[in-house]
Amino acid sequence: MAQVQLKNIRKTYGNHVALKDINLDIESGAFFTLLGPSGCGKTTLLRAIAGFHQQDAGDILVDQQSIGHLGANKRNVGMVFQDYAVFPHLSVFDNVAFGLVQQKIPANDLHQRVQAILETVQLGQLADRMPHQLSGGQQQRVGLARALVTRPKVLLMDEPLSNLDAKLRIDLRRDIRLLQQELGITTVYVTHDQEEALSISDQVCVMYDGVVQQVDTPWAIYNRPANRFVASFVGANNFLALEQVTNQGASLLGQPIKVPDNLRGAGRFVASVRPEKLIVNQLLAGPGCEFDGVLQQVSFTGRELQLAVDLPGHGILDALTAPNESMVALRPGQSVRLGFLATDALYFEEGDLGKLLS
Amino acid sequence: MTTVAHQRPGRIHSLLRLDFWSVVMAVSVIVIGLLLVWPIAQVLVLGFLNPDTQTFTLANYLKVLTHRYYLGALGNTLIVGIGGMIGACLLGIPLAYCTARYVVKGRSLIATLAVMALVSPPFIGAYSWVVVLGNNGWLTQQMKALGMTLPTIYGIHGIILVFSLKFFPFVYLMTESALRNINRSFEEAAENLGCSRMQRLFKVTLPLVFPAISSGAILCFVLSIADFGTPSIIGRDFRTLSTIAYNQYTSEMGGPPTMAVSISMLMIVMSMLAVLLQRHLMGKRRYAGSLTNLTVPKVCHGAFGVLVHALCYAIVALATLPIAVVVYTSFLQTSGPVFTGGFGLNSYARVIQEVPDAIANTFRFSLIATVLITLAGGLISYIIVRRETRLSGLLDTVLMVPYVVPGVVMAIGFLLTFNQGPLDMVGTGTIIVLILFIRRLPYGVRATTSVLRQIKPSIEEAAISLGASPAKAFYKVTVPLMMPGVIAGAMMSFITAINELSSTLLLYTARTATMPVRIYSAVLDGEFGIAAALSTILLVSSGLCVFVVLRFSRSKEGAFI
Repeated sequence: MAQVQLKNIRKTYGNHVALKDINLDIESGAFFTLLGPSGCGKTTLLRAIAGFHQQDAGDILVDQQSIGHLGANKRNVGMVFQDYAVFPHLSVFDNVAFGLVQQKIPANDLHQRVQAILETVQLGQLADRMPHQLSGGQQQRVGLARALVTRPKVLLMDEPLSNLDAKLRIDLRRDIRLLQQELGITTVYVTHDQEEALSISDQVCVMYDGVVQQVDTPWAIYNRPANRFVASFVGANNFLALEQVTNQGASLLGQPIKVPDNLRGAGRFVASVRPEKLIVNQLLAGPGCEFDGVLQQVSFTGRELQLAVDLPGHGILDALTAPNESMVALRPGQSVRLGFLATDALYFEEGDLGKLLS
Repeated sequence: MTTVAHQRPGRIHSLLRLDFWSVVMAVSVIVIGLLLVWPIAQVLVLGFLNPDTQTFTLANYLKVLTHRYYLGALGNTLIVGIGGMIGACLLGIPLAYCTARYVVKGRSLIATLAVMALVSPPFIGAYSWVVVLGNNGWLTQQMKALGMTLPTIYGIHGIILVFSLKFFPFVYLMTESALRNINRSFEEAAENLGCSRMQRLFKVTLPLVFPAISSGAILCFVLSIADFGTPSIIGRDFRTLSTIAYNQYTSEMGGPPTMAVSISMLMIVMSMLAVLLQRHLMGKRRYAGSLTNLTVPKVCHGAFGVLVHALCYAIVALATLPIAVVVYTSFLQTSGPVFTGGFGLNSYARVIQEVPDAIANTFRFSLIATVLITLAGGLISYIIVRRETRLSGLLDTVLMVPYVVPGVVMAIGFLLTFNQGPLDMVGTGTIIVLILFIRRLPYGVRATTSVLRQIKPSIEEAAISLGASPAKAFYKVTVPLMMPGVIAGAMMSFITAINELSSTLLLYTARTATMPVRIYSAVLDGEFGIAAALSTILLVSSGLCVFVVLRFSRSKEGAFI
């Protein structure tokens, strides 16, 4: 259990600013996820905490104590790597014992602790195996056990599941979360998979272009994205440009629509509607906006039905509905009626990073 | 009807192909059986025969394993083998670590110099060190004038020094490429778990490159114990198995060379044991290298940076010193062993007057052998890679044999085999071409095999599906892709062929002497001028080949190991 604070972390590579004055407070025992597209700086930030990159400015504090200038081998933070980094020349047991040997833990104690953590990650039977005899999922469990056995104050995980296949990824994700909650260890987790981030975290930090865009609970990140980037990166979204925004109100697709008060005035704005909030070929249950589009594609994924609808002048909109046999039978080129409730739309300023208005 | 019509051309075609490659296979088996298996078998059998009664006996081997003369040589061989190996590791590993982990200015120059040291014949090293540190050596004289006595180059430490400086590039090149291919995460994980730099090096980095280090080290060991020129030039009373095998053979002339053969078997067994030991140590320790997430070499500043550069350049400078000395002395005026002062081309003039045949012979034999190796190597590697049968697997294994058979031993086998009847070739140029061919064929096969393995069959299949005939697909797609590897392999074969001494020394006659043979006898006669001029010709030829390899080979220095 430890609180982690990042203060004004800055990192540049030549002319490229990888991290722009990052300030973050991570609560003790939290599962904190850095989420963003590749190149957003999330891995650089994680590696700065681990000590593999020295930040150009700023400091890192664990329980109010600065570790920002210690060597990577002195920080007492555990790390789990994307490519497992399980030492191929050592057995599973020796891999897990590696950090304890460094700490000069007596043999008896060491043996017990290694065996115990191997049981926890369900590898108790495989202690004598060599890494090449293990599957990817098993290797990553070794990586996890090796990082946890030294009882670090903070656990860092760099896309630990991205080299695993889809089903295994979900199993191991659940195990990691359970273990983290059981141990109560403060965890900083890096991923570019937004579904993974939402499902596993207490707090999600969305990063883009070396800047923190939003730090919040998964629920708030999805439902109250701070800006247009977060709205589009986390989950799918449809954006529709508003027309004629005046002091009296605004219109969308030629229909008047109720918008937040601070939206009035000059400037260009967009509305966002999640695909699952678009209503297809049904009457709206309240005030909102309705329009016709041309169906481009219907795809049935089992759990749901995805429709791509062309709305001339606005591009393709994605809609998600519950599976419905009559809708599966729709053919490309047919006209469909789309609509959404005014309360299901969010409004943003124009531009990639346009702010949420409410 | 239509299906039959469709099948027929395919079947005829596959029959034809089967025939062609079967013929290749049959010819390969005959040639390798005749030139490799039979001579070695002769050596093996002769060791078990009583030279007088021609009956089976273990007495020869017992004598070798109990007599002090032989045991002494065995011990000496082990010492220079292990000494050369350790010396090569002590030079090669630090150099590899520096150039792989730090930004070293002129890294490709360092690699090129190391490759030059590697491709120059070892006896040139021995003889240059005599010029520098011998009784009459340049540095010895300088130091004597200052009242200091330098340790002599002659003897065991001289041999180990020459071997270390000669063979370290194997360790260096192999270790460096392994270090460069380590996934960065391993070292980071070690650091994250509390390792300091040094602990990380010994607990993670070196164990991960151990397979590469041990391959390089064993190669140094095998080449050190097989080398003949170095111990015979600077060994003086210090005899190794290869020098006594040679002496025994020349003194047993007339009778069957039983003792020479028994000593030879001992050398083969030692090399094989070394290779087996290394395989055993490696076990399943084969760690796949990484293509991404590699360590970025660090820029090192200040005193440490100076130290790193000084170390790298000192090692390669020391290793290439013999080359510089040889080239320098070749332009000095000489009269026998005495340098008369001043520069001139009289050594070259004497070479052209006295031993022009040696130059012509060397290039003629080597060129023919190289062409044969390249053609046979290409065909055999295609069989090994693309037509995996039990026989091609056996061929692959048998081709390992020349790696562990010293040249002296191979030459004795040839002399035992091709000395009568229709196969009598003793004293001809053909026998020299054939021994060059068989000794270097495995290197040629390996060069093409490794390239061929990287060319996926699907690429040929793609050409076929686009309408090319299989023959055309091979010719249009596979051959061009193989070319860089084939050229590099041919150049390497040529370099080793022109520098070959240990096998040709037993096979040459006045008519078929080659440059290395002439250099060897010139050194023994004290004709350093001629030796230097001939060596320079060899070095320039080797250097040109190195240049071609570096131009054509994609893996650059990797082509030399």
